[in-house]
Amino acid sequence: MTAFRALLASEARILLRDRMALFFTLIFPLIFILIFGFLMGDIGDVSQSTMGVFVAAGADRDLLDRTLSTAGSTAIERFESLDAMQEAVTDRRIDFALSWDGSALRYFYDANRVQENYAFQQVAAGLATDFDLRRQGATPAISVEPTDVGEIATTGWFNLVLPGILAFSVLSSGLFAVSGHLTAMKERKILDRLIVTPMAPVALLAAIAVVRLVVVYVSTLITLLVGVLVFGLRYDVSWLRFAVFVACATVGTMGIGTIIALLVRRPSSASNIANALAMVMMFLAGIYFPVEFMPRFLRAISEGLPLTHMANAMRYVTGVMDMADTEFWAITFSLLGIAVVLFPVLARYVVRPLRR
Amino acid sequence: MKEVLLLALTHVVTAIRERVTLFWFLVFPVFMLVLLSLIFGQIGQEGEIHFDIALIDRDAGGSDPAGFASMIVSVFEGLAKPQAAGQEPLFTVHRPDQGEDPEAFLDRELTALRRGRLAAVVVIPPDFDAAVLRGMGPSPGGDAEPAKLHVYMSRTSVASGMAAEIIGQVLSEIDREILARSGRFDPTAGVRTETVWLGQSDEETSYVDFLLPGIVLMGFFTTGLFGVPGAILFNRDRKVLRRYWVTPLSVPRFLAGFSLGHLALCALQFTILFLLGRYALGATISFARPEAFLTLLLAAVTFMAFGFLIASLARTANAGMATANVLNMPMMFLSGMFFPVAGLPTFLMAIVYANPVSYLVNGLRTSVGVESGSFSSGLVIGVPLGWIALSVLVAARKLKWDVER
Amino acid sequence: MDDRVLLRVIDLVKHYGDVRAVDGVSFEAWSASVFTLLGPNGAGKTTTLEILEGIREPDSGEIEVFGVRLKRITRAVKERMGVLLQDGGFEPYLKVREILRLFASFFENPVPIDEVLSQVALTDKAGSLVRTLSGGQKQRLAVGAALINDPKLVFLDEPTTGLDPQARRNMWSVIEGLKDRGKTLILTTHYMEEAEALADWVCIMDHGEIIAQGTPRKLTQDFGEETMIEFRGDDLPPEALERLRACCKDYRVDGAAITMETEDLPTTMESLFAWSREQGVRLRNLIVRQPNLEDVFLSLTGRRLRE
Repeated sequence: MTAFRALLASEARILLRDRMALFFTLIFPLIFILIFGFLMGDIGDVSQSTMGVFVAAGADRDLLDRTLSTAGSTAIERFESLDAMQEAVTDRRIDFALSWDGSALRYFYDANRVQENYAFQQVAAGLATDFDLRRQGATPAISVEPTDVGEIATTGWFNLVLPGILAFSVLSSGLFAVSGHLTAMKERKILDRLIVTPMAPVALLAAIAVVRLVVVYVSTLITLLVGVLVFGLRYDVSWLRFAVFVACATVGTMGIGTIIALLVRRPSSASNIANALAMVMMFLAGIYFPVEFMPRFLRAISEGLPLTHMANAMRYVTGVMDMADTEFWAITFSLLGIAVVLFPVLARYVVRPLRR
Repeated sequence: MKEVLLLALTHVVTAIRERVTLFWFLVFPVFMLVLLSLIFGQIGQEGEIHFDIALIDRDAGGSDPAGFASMIVSVFEGLAKPQAAGQEPLFTVHRPDQGEDPEAFLDRELTALRRGRLAAVVVIPPDFDAAVLRGMGPSPGGDAEPAKLHVYMSRTSVASGMAAEIIGQVLSEIDREILARSGRFDPTAGVRTETVWLGQSDEETSYVDFLLPGIVLMGFFTTGLFGVPGAILFNRDRKVLRRYWVTPLSVPRFLAGFSLGHLALCALQFTILFLLGRYALGATISFARPEAFLTLLLAAVTFMAFGFLIASLARTANAGMATANVLNMPMMFLSGMFFPVAGLPTFLMAIVYANPVSYLVNGLRTSVGVESGSFSSGLVIGVPLGWIALSVLVAARKLKWDVER
Repeated sequence: MDDRVLLRVIDLVKHYGDVRAVDGVSFEAWSASVFTLLGPNGAGKTTTLEILEGIREPDSGEIEVFGVRLKRITRAVKERMGVLLQDGGFEPYLKVREILRLFASFFENPVPIDEVLSQVALTDKAGSLVRTLSGGQKQRLAVGAALINDPKLVFLDEPTTGLDPQARRNMWSVIEGLKDRGKTLILTTHYMEEAEALADWVCIMDHGEIIAQGTPRKLTQDFGEETMIEFRGDDLPPEALERLRACCKDYRVDGAAITMETEDLPTTMESLFAWSREQGVRLRNLIVRQPNLEDVFLSLTGRRLRE
């Protein structure tokens, strides 16, 4: 027991004194979040868009105006000249534009706003249909009544992304605790010095796990706090499940890190492989864009990634998405199970002197 | 001259042989290019997006095969079939089984929707056909209410939002069809609509054309930011450089060889990314214009100089790599390389304006015709040159070529 | 021995604050000979060499190399020297041949790579990556890089430190081969055996100064006519050791190793045998030998070459 306590104290001290590592684990994810939050806050949010409108002299304005009055939350800016309006589009002062000359509706888009035009085109299509009907004096025969069954009134895309980012930071913490920290100790022969003593390898692993866990809790809580205070995000956290899930996820991902450390010959390569894997997982786990957008084979890969399920579970415990209890506990206990199975393996085969 | 060429060759050869470097310098940009094209290139295009939805027809009691409810059901079932061989259909439509209680089915599907397993649930209410007829009223253009269809979606899922929109469009089309069949709407008299794409070309820019210049610059950027300090600092700390300084080799010649090697690596990166983009992903842009070529060259040199700046200010190799890591994300994202940066808060915009990447990205995209220049050419050249000058000055004074003895 | 002097060092001085790392060092080295700076760690050997190699600036003093008097080593001089650094690295992902080719390009008149490879016995490793080489092989590669321009003057800073005995012997034979080809080798070491085996001239350095110089034989002869007796005895009580004093001129104890100095060998041997019988001490590993450089250094400084 004293070995564990001593190792715990020394691991904690190492982390606190290594300001570089501390910065990376705590501050860096925050910077990341902040930048992403500001950048991506408005993507896909059409309610913020502005449409320019130009009506040619002599064309009937009435109908168009009546259509536009029901245009929802898209802002309208009127122009007196077609050229001025086109310039406004290319200068990006407005997002897209519409002109009506009595016989045709023309929509203008900036060809280079590749990621955003799709949403603008949706608005345009809706307006065109509405206009068409009114012109012929017809009213819609059917209409759609949308009902939102979402868990909480989310404030936008970033609200949904943040739990995914939290899941990712738990993943990297756990992965790098083994394929990074431990393998570095091995490479620098610090591990050798410990192993020739009666110290039980499990004590070292437990100490590393506990320190990591504390760091993960602190950083996820800070991130949530920043999200709520700075970006006004909304969450409904079930604290007990959150605590349990984060603990199991941390040790579970340490188990995954073990697999890497076992398979890779040189300890210094382990952290590079872990880095690469984490990056790939980050893009394929449906954190930044839904898996529905991916081609079928990528979707299949995504289903198999631990991070995908961790992100879902994190969305569940922060109250953004619903999940069957059974599924949540299955994910949580699988992660714990990975740790339980692999820690002894880790103790035996990785916490071993480096002998070429 | 011989030593300059051999040093350049050495730089290239070691970068390729060292697997870590090879990954970040080559594999990663290729991966990003392919992945992002596959994903974002698909939006709005048929054949690769897919949603799971549920459809309940509660009007089944008075089910009239010629009725409106049946029409809606058959349209959706049509969309559940692949449009072309080998493609995925737009929807997979879940329907209640024979004899299954629609309420129970609805409950189940709504739960699935809440849990993110389903993108939307469409419910045709009872008496729908009658409601439609009522809605179309005794006289056209009357104030009768349209028949309502319920679409359940979840705003906590981006996919759901998109599915709901697509369903809205589908229903809008069906609406026109209904009105047309009942004579209330003449589709041939519909207003003509045109789409006009403003910009350097007359067509919509494809995503891969927009992405490719950004990925190329990302590649140059990471090679400069990580590769230069890495090579210099690790070789200095491992005293590889010291072995050179006891020979007649001078620092300027070493630098010349190193720089040449770095530019060769950038050229290699560009070639691979370009070939991949052009022949595998369908990019149409050409870099063969002088402005594009010069911008690429300027970018490669700017990022190399930046790498020297970092190497000069870092005491050890690890500190240098850490600095590079810290600067990597902010500089890449706060530049317009991947996401538009208009409208950011002031303190972030300050970074955008100071960041040489912002100018180079915009300049490169403008030179290949996928963007209108937000910055004047003076700035596009001037700001990076300023950074180059700064880096050269700092490096000349502070870069240590040998460890302390 | 050709007495063309290739290198003459005059009153070289280098301070670091209060520390006088090199404190007025002067010597000469001539062709086809091995010139050795022998001394413990911190004596100033490497600092001296680094000044002569051109990677450190002296505070004062002069250097005359290839007959030209200089204050600092110039590029032209570097063309004609070979340097083996005390420690230095090679690019781990280059092959042996590629390294040598790279270094060859730094000089105006390099020698064919294959020749260098055979001089340092690395021909069969020519295509191997540096990171796969053993310590001894890396050191030989470094020697190869130092010989690529067929220099007449070669600096070897601690060439065998950290090598196993076999690798050390391989290096010695390489060094002897170089000397046979008429080169001047300036070597530093803290291994007495190395100086005795290789050197034509030894400068013993301590605290930045040369405290003695000459051929190994002359240095030991100057030490005196003594003969040295060594043996190992375990757990000897102090009184017993005191008794030894009566048998010899002087003695020192180094753990279990006892070294005695005597000017009258037969008498001392008799007294020693008597003493061992009296004390019941076994004289293990008994050796009778001539004084060596270690003994010389000890008598000059009171300290050992290797701590």
